[in-house]
Amino acid sequence: MSSSESPQAEYVTLVSGDGFEFIIPRSTACVSGTIRRMLDTSSKFSEALSGRCVFENLSGVVLEKVCEYFCYNEKNKDQTNVPDMDIPPELCLELLMAADYLDT
Amino acid sequence: MDTEPPLPPPRRVRHRSPTIRKQSHSQSRNARTAASTHLTKASRLSRFDDQSSQPSSDPALFSSDDIPASGLENYHTPVSSGTRKRRYRGTWWGETAHETKRKRADFKEKRLVDSGVWMGSDESAFASEGLSAVEDGEGWGEELVLMSRAEDTGTATEMDVRDQQGRGLAGVRAGFGRRVEEEPREHQVARAIVNDCLEKGQDSVDLSGGNLRAIPAGLLRPLLHLTKLPTIKEPPITEDVYSSLQPFLRLFLAGNALSTLSSELFELDSLRVLSLRNNKLTEIPPAIRRLTKLQELNLSVNRLHFLPWELLWLIKKGDLKHLTVRPNPLLQIEDSEILQWHVLAEKQEDPTAVKSCEYNGPPPEESWAPIHVATGPIHRYNMEGVPISDSTSTHAQSRVPSLREAALLCFSRSSYFDADAIPDDETIGFPSLTLRLLRQARDVRNAGGRSCSVCHRNFVIARTEWIEWWDCSTYENGLKGPRSSGERLRPLPFQRLGCSIACAPSL
Repeated sequence: MSSSESPQAEYVTLVSGDGFEFIIPRSTACVSGTIRRMLDTSSKFSEALSGRCVFENLSGVVLEKVCEYFCYNEKNKDQTNVPDMDIPPELCLELLMAADYLDT
Repeated sequence: MDTEPPLPPPRRVRHRSPTIRKQSHSQSRNARTAASTHLTKASRLSRFDDQSSQPSSDPALFSSDDIPASGLENYHTPVSSGTRKRRYRGTWWGETAHETKRKRADFKEKRLVDSGVWMGSDESAFASEGLSAVEDGEGWGEELVLMSRAEDTGTATEMDVRDQQGRGLAGVRAGFGRRVEEEPREHQVARAIVNDCLEKGQDSVDLSGGNLRAIPAGLLRPLLHLTKLPTIKEPPITEDVYSSLQPFLRLFLAGNALSTLSSELFELDSLRVLSLRNNKLTEIPPAIRRLTKLQELNLSVNRLHFLPWELLWLIKKGDLKHLTVRPNPLLQIEDSEILQWHVLAEKQEDPTAVKSCEYNGPPPEESWAPIHVATGPIHRYNMEGVPISDSTSTHAQSRVPSLREAALLCFSRSSYFDADAIPDDETIGFPSLTLRLLRQARDVRNAGGRSCSVCHRNFVIARTEWIEWWDCSTYENGLKGPRSSGERLRPLPFQRLGCSIACAPSL
C-alpha cells in the first residue's frame, strides 16, 4: 500500500473493462498522452494517487495489444531500423479506436 | 361393361411400336417428329382411359422381347440387326415407349414457344413492376425502355462516383453481385482494346482518348501476362525471326480524364513506356517506384505541382531515360522557400538574391546525373496527420510508428477489410477522426501504398514532408547530351515523405 501511495511508483496497473490487469513500467505507459495525464501527480486524479488506471471501454485482448505496443515502443525507441509490430487484422479497428482514445 | 377399365391387348402394343420404329428409321428426320407426336397422342389417350389403375410410383422399365434372338443370355449385348431393344415405361398396357431422343427433339421445339411462365432473375424487380403497373400491351414496352434507360444512367453515375472514390476490387465485386453488364461504355471499350492486344500479342496498348475518369478495376492486370506472338515467316529464316517474345510493354493513357491512378497500374512491372499526358492528375503516387523497367514517362499537361521523389530513384537507379513533365503547374524554385542550397555556396549568403544557378565544372559522368540543387523547408505532422507548427523539441526523435499508424498500416494491408467492406451502419459509431484516418488508409492502399523515403518502411500517415529540388534536365525529353558548362539549371520539385518525425534530412 505504501508503494502505491507514493507518486513515483515504478509500475502502474492498467485494468481492462472485463477485469484483466496489466502491470507495466510507468515510463512505458506514459507514451500514451491520456495515461500520462491520468498519472500526472499534480492533477490529484484518483489514478495518479493509486497508480491504477481502469479502462472500461477496452477489452482485455485490446489492452494486451496496447501494452505490447508500449513495450515495443520502449524497446525500439533508439533504434534506426524498427521492425513492424505484428497486429492481427481483426484487432486493428479496435486498436485504432483505442489509439484514438489513448492518444498514442 | 363400360365401367371396367379396358385392358388393351399386349399383342397390339408389340405389333404397333416396331412398325412405328421402322417408319421413323426409314423416313427422314422431319417425319420422325410427326411419328413421335402420333405416339405421344396414343399414349395420352390410353392413359386417360385407365386412370383408376394409374400407379403412383415411378413406372417400371421393362424391355420388349420381340426381337427374335433376344433372350436372357444376350440381354445386354447389342443386337446385330442394329435396332436396339425398346424399353417400355409403365404398365405393360400403358404402352409409353421410352425414347429419349424423340423427347429431346420435342423439348427443343417447345423451348421456343412462350410458356407464359416468367422466370424471375436478379433484374426482375423493375421489370415486374413495369408489367404490373401498365396493363395494356402497347404501353408497357415503352415503360420498360424508359425504366431501363433510367437504370442505365443511374448505374453509370453510381459507377463514376465509385471510380472517383478510387475504390479497389471490392467495389467492383459488389457491383458484379448486383448487376453485371451496366459498365460505363468507355470502360467496355477499354476492356475490349486490352483484350484485343492480349489476343494479338501487341505490346503497345493504346487507351488514349478513351474518356476514362478512372482506371476500372481488373483492366490492366491481364497485361502482366501478355506475350508477343512469334513472327511466322517463309522458309528463308533469318536471324531476326528469333526475336524475344518478352513484350516491350507500352501503355498510352493520354487524353483521358484520369484524376487518380490505381495500384493496378504499378503492378505492371514489365512496363517500359507509360504516357499519362493530358489528364487531370494532381499527384503521382510514390508507388511508381515499382515500375523498375520504365524507360519513358510522359506526365505533361496535368495538374502536378510536384513529382514523387521515387521518380528520381527511377532516373538514378532505374532505366528511366526519357521524362516529360512540362508543361505542368509545377512549383518554381524562384517562388519557393528554400531551407538549404546544395550548389553554389556563394548563393547561400544571399538567399534573397537571384535564385537561379548555373552548372559549372563538368566531371564527365556527373554531367549526366541529376543534381541536388536545394531543399525546401520540412513540414511536420502529428500522428493524426495534422500539421504541427513548432518544431521538434518536445517530440521524441523516435522512429517507432504510433499505435495509430501501426493499426492503420495493418488495416491497409489486410484484405480482411477490403476497400469498403466496413458497412455504413458500423461506421456511425466511429469518431470522425477515425473515419478520416480509415479513408486515408484506403486511399493510400488504392494508390499502391507509400514507403518512407528515408528508412523505406511502409506507412500510411506521413509525419514529415519536404520538397527537394533536383535538376534532371539531361533526362527531360530524352537523352540529348550531357550538360555543358555554364548551362542554366532548371530544377524540378520532388516531394519526399517520411514515416516518422526522425525521418527528416539532417541539415
